[in-house]
Amino acid sequence: MKRLLTLPALVLWRAFFWTYERATWQYDLWVIAILAFVWLVPPAWLGDPMARGHGLVGWILERLR
Amino acid sequence: MTFTGAIGTACYYPLRAIIDTCVRLRIHPNWLTVTGVVFNVVAAWLLGLARFRAAGFVMIVANIFDYIDGKVARELRMESPFGGFWDSVMDRFSDITLFIGLIYLYAKLGRVDFVIITALAMMFSVMTSYTRARAESLIEKCKVGFMERPERIVLFMIGAFTNRMAGVLWVILVLSIVTVADRIYFTWRELNHSPRVEEVLAERLARGA
Repeated sequence: MKRLLTLPALVLWRAFFWTYERATWQYDLWVIAILAFVWLVPPAWLGDPMARGHGLVGWILERLR
Repeated sequence: MTFTGAIGTACYYPLRAIIDTCVRLRIHPNWLTVTGVVFNVVAAWLLGLARFRAAGFVMIVANIFDYIDGKVARELRMESPFGGFWDSVMDRFSDITLFIGLIYLYAKLGRVDFVIITALAMMFSVMTSYTRARAESLIEKCKVGFMERPERIVLFMIGAFTNRMAGVLWVILVLSIVTVADRIYFTWRELNHSPRVEEVLAERLARGA
């Protein structure tokens, strides 16, 4: 059980206590996560006063409704 | 090669041509730094007018100057401690100017929530630089934390070009807070010779505990 908790703790620690260089695969993962957040989250969820359109997640949710 | 590495390599070739031109014309690097700040002021003004795409283009120009000044200084053998200091100070001006443009825009729109988010993002962006500068007066190096100036600038451009500034501001705010915390913790650890959390966790994992 302890081991099960240690691995995610280590991954999270390394993700947030950032010591990697740019242009590493860890850096790529963070960039992908950030771009996904910025582009996929519907602007209305963040109350964006300037953005137009629903974003990809909003568009998919609309299609599913 | 990583995809961020590939983007960096692709961007390097046009930048190399600009650097070579500036070296050939023997343009003083401090003037390149000032030109970058002037373009950033224009970009901030455009952000304040909600002309995001135009601001994005001007930000590209501004940050070309920001990027090449150090390289031109090195190639012209004009590197100096004052040049480094001047560059850092001007970078802070550029950073703060862009945030002020957005604060003006959100204030004009009557969006107090985004005025506060932008102001906090600005505060922690400045703190990111300050914590490192202050730490490096006490310890040798404090290069930890994800959200540094190049990341912030690229995010600003992405927000401007794709009209997703709210998401960008949230990312800058949260990751700048984490970066400041990383730097405070790292400096405390180095000054107190405390054990590294990641090493303790990795050792525990290796022991199977």
